[in-house]
Amino acid sequence: MSHPPEIFDIRPSAGPPIYRQLIDQARALIAGGRLKPGDYLPGVRRVAKYADVNPMTVSKAYAQLESDGVVERVPGQGMQVCAPRTTGSLAQRRAQFRAAAQPAFHHAHQLGLSPDDIRRVLDDLLKEYQP
Amino acid sequence: MTTAAPPQPLTVQGLTKSFDAKTVLNGVDLVVEPGTVLGLLGANGSGKTTLLKCVLGLLRPTDGSALVMGDNAWDLSAHTKASLGYVPQEVSSYPWMRVRQAIDYTAAFYPSWNHGLVADLCERWRLPLEERTGVLSVGQLQSLGIVLALGHEPSLLILDEPVASLDPLARRAFLRTLLDILESEDRTVIFSTHITSDLERVASQVAILREGQITYHGGLDQLKDQVKRLRITAKAPLPPAFAVPGALRTRIDGATATAAVSAFDPAVVDNLRHTWDVDVDVTDLNLEEIFVELHGG
Repeated sequence: MSHPPEIFDIRPSAGPPIYRQLIDQARALIAGGRLKPGDYLPGVRRVAKYADVNPMTVSKAYAQLESDGVVERVPGQGMQVCAPRTTGSLAQRRAQFRAAAQPAFHHAHQLGLSPDDIRRVLDDLLKEYQP
Repeated sequence: MTTAAPPQPLTVQGLTKSFDAKTVLNGVDLVVEPGTVLGLLGANGSGKTTLLKCVLGLLRPTDGSALVMGDNAWDLSAHTKASLGYVPQEVSSYPWMRVRQAIDYTAAFYPSWNHGLVADLCERWRLPLEERTGVLSVGQLQSLGIVLALGHEPSLLILDEPVASLDPLARRAFLRTLLDILESEDRTVIFSTHITSDLERVASQVAILREGQITYHGGLDQLKDQVKRLRITAKAPLPPAFAVPGALRTRIDGATATAAVSAFDPAVVDNLRHTWDVDVDVTDLNLEEIFVELHGG
């Protein structure tokens, strides 16, 4: 299905650049299941008009999502959400996750948590997590 | 087959302008590519208007050069003048003319006047066509100035503080029109402002003018990606030797510190974490905050 531009909440005067707000929100909508594989992102001009921002900025965000393999350009249709896929070797994907998780460990250290405390939290998270 | 590249809308090199002993512009360099929407940002008195007037050939540079579509700004050809649009900071008109007459009067100077576009803009901005321009509000006069500058569909549009005197609704309406006319073709727009929130919506590029020089020129997105604030929290008071490499300034207050950096580098943050055993929060800044940080807080 095709979505209205209102799925995005763009704040031009917030800190993150507008294109990054769009990328982050699109990824979050996909991760949260509101945008499903096969769905279309709202058109560039509609988003630009709705949010009163430069259409070039919206195009830039969509192009980035396309080159990241999150969406696919379907001629005459728009930007279609891709099915999730795994790219890279297991070792590479592990390294990616490691980089994402590292700041959390530092934070845990700041909070004075022991390795056992950290393990307990991780186990809980793994049990609760449902993709 | 190759097509000739479109002429560079603007090339400014070493531009200096002094009024008697006062130097307002002190070696400005600025190149604007076709299709750019450039926001010229600067504090009051930083030289924005002087720069735009030099570019338009309204002021003669003391030194250096300004080329508009390849033409020397002080000696513009009729063709280049016809592809330039300018809205001054204070729009003036013959006060006895009715709005309709002021438009017809300006239209007569241009062979390619877009009457449809002008009628559309007047309607959208509710310009009273039968009113005399002398009784218009500042905002209405500004809208009229913009209409008069857009009628011949210039390829380079220069606006000096175009929205400063408009209320929020009129400003938003103006931004929408600006976005509309951007969609159509490769039009270059340069507008000076100190209203950063407008610039954030429309500008693709930002040039920051400070004390007569361009201190930053580049993409708005890159600027936001580069300038960040770091909030640093340690478990014990930070030593006086604590410093963030490349920071515009660092403020230490006991076990916490804040620093603004102009060229954000995640490696520097990792390094801080490991060297000083601290927690580092990276905050994005909006354009207004960036502007203040770059001007020394």
